[in-house]
Amino acid sequence: MRPRRPDPHTLAGAYALDAVTAANRARFERHLASCPACAGELAEFGEATARLAAAVAADPPGGLVQRVVVSAARTPQLPPAAARPSARWRVPHARQPRTFRPGRLPAHPRQRLRARLALALAAVFLGGAAASGAIALTAEHRLGVAELREHQIAQVLTAPDAVMLTARAEPRGTVTVVMSHRYRSLVLTTAGLPPLPDGRRYQLWLMGPSGDRSAGLLPPPHHGMTSPVIATGLGRGDRLGLTVALDGSRRPASAPVLMLNLTT
Amino acid sequence: VPDADLGALLGEVARGDQTAFEGVCAHSAATVFGVVRSVVRDPFQAEEVCQEVLLEVWRCASRFQPGRGSAMAWVTTIAHRRAVDRVRAERRLAQREQRATAHAIAYDEVAEAVQARLDQERVRRCLGALTELQRESVTLAYYGGYTFREVAGLLGVAEGTVKTRMRDGLIRLRDCLGAGR
Repeated sequence: MRPRRPDPHTLAGAYALDAVTAANRARFERHLASCPACAGELAEFGEATARLAAAVAADPPGGLVQRVVVSAARTPQLPPAAARPSARWRVPHARQPRTFRPGRLPAHPRQRLRARLALALAAVFLGGAAASGAIALTAEHRLGVAELREHQIAQVLTAPDAVMLTARAEPRGTVTVVMSHRYRSLVLTTAGLPPLPDGRRYQLWLMGPSGDRSAGLLPPPHHGMTSPVIATGLGRGDRLGLTVALDGSRRPASAPVLMLNLTT
Repeated sequence: VPDADLGALLGEVARGDQTAFEGVCAHSAATVFGVVRSVVRDPFQAEEVCQEVLLEVWRCASRFQPGRGSAMAWVTTIAHRRAVDRVRAERRLAQREQRATAHAIAYDEVAEAVQARLDQERVRRCLGALTELQRESVTLAYYGGYTFREVAGLLGVAEGTVKTRMRDGLIRLRDCLGAGR
């Protein structure tokens, strides 16, 4: 597209501000490895951007740090790396959950991008789930319903046609959905939905050309988040609804707190 | 908090010290959350990314090299990049979905939101000392999470110019912030 490539050094500012695409980032990091002057300049820029960050400091919501400290206790650490010139600037990417193997990455660049996206999603979902202590993909495997469900969830998250949607619920909270028409399924998590009184649960609905059907109840939240649930039997043209249900009742007890159009 | 303390704590974290990690969180969680929230905007997602960042600090503490910059710069670099990765993934998905949830935010919007929270007088003053184009480029990129190409589009300026303004803007900012620190 561009006949001449400009001097990578001109990217130093944009790189320090993370204002580069992944491709530019990689290109600049290659340059950085052989340019001690750049590394020095970048280190100084890092101090300046750290001040930009400190200037907007805000206390995180209560409980966040405690949750992180608890999660850290069961998160393995990286061993020290061999020293390399630009190692400080290599920021680790979303990690792949240890017990979660997506298979070989396909060679086609677009598929690879998708696979990486799916991996990132998987890390978000499973990471979030691990943090909430709800889903435990541990070594102690018992074949059972729970494991099958985890497998199905992993399948949707890594599906080549996986699409992620995020929507705001009424009056508050967010619902995140990853859906795959190939597997006719969607995986859903929520954060920050208002807690419900005893005897009431959030209920999922799929509504569309093949009728309205219940897709199950959400588990009770843990630290405000619900662990991933999977809804199967997704059809083209379906919408997703979330209502409040009385335990044991099949009829919604409220107007939908969320209606999400699933058309892609 | 003296940065040397944070650096020393990171060294202990690298050896698996959980109490030291609590100290690191106490020192850096507000800065991490602040910068993540500024970029990601959605409070729930900001919370999620903030947790990821702090866990990443735990996981990768051994990669921190004190000789190559301050501990706070190391932590905020992780935080900012994670936040940017998240907000860009969201924007891509929103585009794919053709949903209007993540439209381009005008410079004024970002600037206003940031200005309200720029509580550090010195940073405000130093940003104010930049040329308008430098300030817009740096602010949109750092607090808005936009690439230099997107910034060029938003400002209607050539990409090369924006790239250059980001660099000389940071140089001026560095000099202004560093002097008499």
